[in-house]
Amino acid sequence: MTTRRDFLSGTVKSVIFAIVSGISAATAYFMYPAGLRTRQLVYCDCMDEDTLPRRGVKRAEYRFELKGKEITAGVFIVNHEGAVYALSPVCTHLGCLVNYNRHKDEFICPCHGGKYDTRGNVIAGPPPAPLTRLPMKVENGRVYIGIVLPAAA
Amino acid sequence: MGKAFDWLDEKFHIRAPHKRFLQRRLPAGLSYFYCLGGAAFTSYLILFISGALLSLYYVPSETEAYESILKIQREVHLGWLIRGMHKWSATLLIVFMLCHMLRVFISRAYKAPKELNWIVGCLTLVMVFASGFTGYLLPWDQKSYWATTVGTSMAATIPVAGRHLMYFIRGGMDVGGATLIRFYSFHVLWLPVTMAALLWAHFHMIKRQGIKGGL
Repeated sequence: MTTRRDFLSGTVKSVIFAIVSGISAATAYFMYPAGLRTRQLVYCDCMDEDTLPRRGVKRAEYRFELKGKEITAGVFIVNHEGAVYALSPVCTHLGCLVNYNRHKDEFICPCHGGKYDTRGNVIAGPPPAPLTRLPMKVENGRVYIGIVLPAAA
Repeated sequence: MGKAFDWLDEKFHIRAPHKRFLQRRLPAGLSYFYCLGGAAFTSYLILFISGALLSLYYVPSETEAYESILKIQREVHLGWLIRGMHKWSATLLIVFMLCHMLRVFISRAYKAPKELNWIVGCLTLVMVFASGFTGYLLPWDQKSYWATTVGTSMAATIPVAGRHLMYFIRGGMDVGGATLIRFYSFHVLWLPVTMAALLWAHFHMIKRQGIKGGL
């Protein structure tokens, strides 16, 4: 049998619980960053189809706009046994930019000596993963490199 | 309460004394006017929480303060609400404190042995006014800038040391970035901590001395 005292005490506890949960939820919502934009894959113009390497590695550049700034980034276009793909020059260890050594036919990171072969696989050094392959497409005779950017506001 | 509280109470032993305090008999003749101090304290708590939240987004810098206020108002989820609560609780805190003071005065509760409680209450009121004054500068718009320029220039009217006192308060010749950081520090750190200590003393004494006579 519920007494009046039990009923009132239960009511007060429920009200306090509701208030505390409401405040906690509002607080979490307030703290969660606003204005997060969805990211999307953007293809950036890079080079003419005719200038693609017939064999080996070629360094190319592409431009894109981020936060109102024009940014130029590098990319390695590789033609390895007939397969053409784009490798990001960002070392998977700590994000330095790797260089291509033509004599050794390897990508070498100047920071900690990480080495990758022309397919991007790690040969030596600290990198935990192969070089990232960037999406690439050819359209109307131009080569485009795909990168993920925040969607325009 | 549940098992979690039992476990905590084994360590803290707070249940028995608090039960004694919360379920004590109140003296006869109390009215809702005796709730004004509690209402003021509730405003303080709302200010504390909403202020802690605002500090996550506010930037106390000459170049970014106003921008960050706009961001809180326009972009941050519920930012307008939290800032509005902070602003209105600040107004209500002063209203409740003055009403509470009036009630204490009318019921002659300032007399010995509670004279120190009256003094501590007055010091808290000074801290609240100081918080209001420092907080008013933080939006860093024309109104707050000139209000602070006029407000701090009053210190200069004190003979001899006045001008130096004004420079001391402003952290420079004029109201500027140094004033903003100074006021921010006082507003979010020094004054709230001082007030917390004063309020602890205020509540401890009223528990020991009782609302009317001894408890």
